[in-house]
Amino acid sequence: MKVQSHLPSRETFVHLKDASVKGLHASERVVGRSFSEARLTASLAVGLMLVGFLLVAQWRGAATFTHSLERQSDQNLAIIIQEIAAENNALRGEIVRLQMRLMETGQESEDRSRVLNEAAKEMQAVRVVSGLDAVSGPGIIVTIRDPERVLLPQDFVRLVHDLGAGGAEAIAVNGTRVSATTGFAGFDGTIRINDDVFSRTYEVSVVGHPDNLAQALELPGGLSSTLSTFPGVGVGISRAEEVRVPAVLQHDFEYAQKVENP
Amino acid sequence: MLALALALALGITLGLLTNVSVPLGLLTYLGVAMLAAIDACLGGVKASLEGSFDDRVFVSGFITNTLMAAFIVFIGDRIGVRELYLAAVVAFGMRTFDNLGTVRRLLFVRWGWER
Repeated sequence: MKVQSHLPSRETFVHLKDASVKGLHASERVVGRSFSEARLTASLAVGLMLVGFLLVAQWRGAATFTHSLERQSDQNLAIIIQEIAAENNALRGEIVRLQMRLMETGQESEDRSRVLNEAAKEMQAVRVVSGLDAVSGPGIIVTIRDPERVLLPQDFVRLVHDLGAGGAEAIAVNGTRVSATTGFAGFDGTIRINDDVFSRTYEVSVVGHPDNLAQALELPGGLSSTLSTFPGVGVGISRAEEVRVPAVLQHDFEYAQKVENP
Repeated sequence: MLALALALALGITLGLLTNVSVPLGLLTYLGVAMLAAIDACLGGVKASLEGSFDDRVFVSGFITNTLMAAFIVFIGDRIGVRELYLAAVVAFGMRTFDNLGTVRRLLFVRWGWER
């Protein structure tokens, strides 16, 4: 009995093999082509991207260059230089003008402040001399004891004069400021200064150079020695670093009027 | 083709966004180098349309041509012939137009517009 074979013949196998090899080759070609196309596109794309980027950068640089001085013609440059020089000169002039104004203003304000300072100083001096301000400073304190009540008002007038000759700047007797309008009066051993009445013990506070003031009183034949000859009168002079002299209580001018145009 | 146009647009956008500006001293160098780059790109497009594109040839041509173009300008500056850059401009300009013409014709063939 002949066995029927269902297997394909040898020729069929060879044919199938050839076909599959061909298909494989074809697919390899397709893959290879698409791969090389991708590389082509990628490299070209990178190149073009670079070109686009450079194009913009170059465009911007060229725009700057067009506006730069290097791009200008000689005539234009000459005109620009001329304009800048003229502007420069004008600005220099302006600087000088402004500096002069600044100096003038500075001088003016300096003058004004100097005048004000001097006026303030003078005002202060006037207030001290007229006794409107309480003052303090170095000076002497003269203590006079008169238990027998023998002193007269003129003794105090001489005392004030002698102290004034010794450079006294402010004087107070028993706390009463001696000013330009102060007068000394009294009777029966009492002394009236302005409206205050004192007796027996007097303390005279004086602001000024301590040595000069003391010297003015202690000179041979001066007030100190003269007063000491009176019965019972004792004079003590002590120098002090800080002597306080009060202000005049009030200044009421009833009759005196200021003369406007002396 | 669309990918290439997109790449160019992307490059321009990047340039606009990064605010890069070429310094005045390098303006001529980069200008001529850019001409060379444009020429290389057009050459690449032409080759790809002809089916003879080789990326090694393209990349090496791109780099060599741009560097050479800038170098010619540099040499011209150094030897006192500043107009030497004109030689590069003319050469690359002619090549660019030549490539452009070929690309145009090849595109006509591809799109079937040729009579």
